Amino acid sequence: MHALDEQLRELIPRLRRFAVSLTRNASSADDLVQSTLERAITRWADKRLEGDVRAWLFSILYRQFLDAHRRTRRYARMLEFFTGRDDAQPSVERTVIAQSTLQAFDQLNTEQRALLLWVSVEGLSYKEVAEILEVPVGTVMSRLSRARQALRQLSDGEIASPSLRRLK
Amino acid sequence: MISLPPSERDLHAYVDHQLLESDRRVLETWLAAHPDVAAQVHAWQQDAQLLRASLGGALQQPANPDLDPALIRQRIQQRSRRHWATAAVLLVAVSLGGVGGWQAREATQPPLLPMADAMQAFRLFAQDGIMPADYNVQDGGNMQAWLDRYFNQAHRLPDLSAAGFTPVSGRLLTTEQGAAAMVLYQDAQGRRISFYIRPPGPENGFLPRGSRSADGLQAQYWSGAGYNYAVVSPADQPAPPMLKF
Repeated sequence: MHALDEQLRELIPRLRRFAVSLTRNASSADDLVQSTLERAITRWADKRLEGDVRAWLFSILYRQFLDAHRRTRRYARMLEFFTGRDDAQPSVERTVIAQSTLQAFDQLNTEQRALLLWVSVEGLSYKEVAEILEVPVGTVMSRLSRARQALRQLSDGEIASPSLRRLK
Repeated sequence: MISLPPSERDLHAYVDHQLLESDRRVLETWLAAHPDVAAQVHAWQQDAQLLRASLGGALQQPANPDLDPALIRQRIQQRSRRHWATAAVLLVAVSLGGVGGWQAREATQPPLLPMADAMQAFRLFAQDGIMPADYNVQDGGNMQAWLDRYFNQAHRLPDLSAAGFTPVSGRLLTTEQGAAAMVLYQDAQGRRISFYIRPPGPENGFLPRGSRSADGLQAQYWSGAGYNYAVVSPADQPAPPMLKF
């Protein structure tokens, strides 16, 4: 029995939750978790034995997601080039007023979702988040502040189109 | 020590429980006297709480056996064993190559079938239609003149008009021996026949007149004037009359 496996097993639910919040899709979330675990297992030997395993796994998962996302977008652009049309529909969800915090959360951009999950839900320290994103702690704090404002506005429905507002 | 009034960063650090205990107490006292800022901080706290609550359910998913670390570890090991096995096979092949490589090559290469490339070209361009033509016959264009630009003194394009086929488009192709071309003929029903011209191959050289069929295609072939030729059509289509050259 490998020592790492026990730790991984305990963290899988958290990894799956994080993956779902990034992919918004349960099955691609599990694919993401699986490749994250593979990478974690093969890289375990090289990992410096300092810092939180959870933060380390989050950072692997986040990187993998960004890479996959970039590949998908490149593929979508290629498809668009060959078929001459854009399959990406204009996002309806962006214009809909959120009914709940969760819906508001889902409308944030990838990094904002990750930030809020790490800090507000998982309780990672600013320093750990700064290491994951490879930016200074101050940058984490200002991005976090922006993410929070965005969540607040979306929850309040303040994002509703200003022209409608003026009609009242 | 934080300074008062607190910066926005301090407020966020307070919400996230990342202030020192002493700072936290100082800030709480200050907030008590500043209800408007306190309301904003409270809203952030509430959002965080709601988010924790609504994402809490995501921790309760039924387990996915594919994600078990021990299983993943096994898969990784199997994969690396396969890599080693592949590497071992390559090593054996390389050492064999020192002794019997040339003979092995002779033995394993299938004899070249005449005009396999002509049939392959027909499949790609006439049947799958995946590549645009290099030349299209439109409004009195001259296919023979186009072909003559690339192939000097080759046999003339066969006249298949008696069978209802006329040239519609041409494609340039490459072979190991040089440029080749395929001219596509079509009849009123949309059926297609191709005329293929290429330099003689290294092994097959010039071809005795003949015909063969494979994978639903039939080919007639012959040589002359320094080139090899083939006429290819689907096997379920009446073959054009044997051409005379």
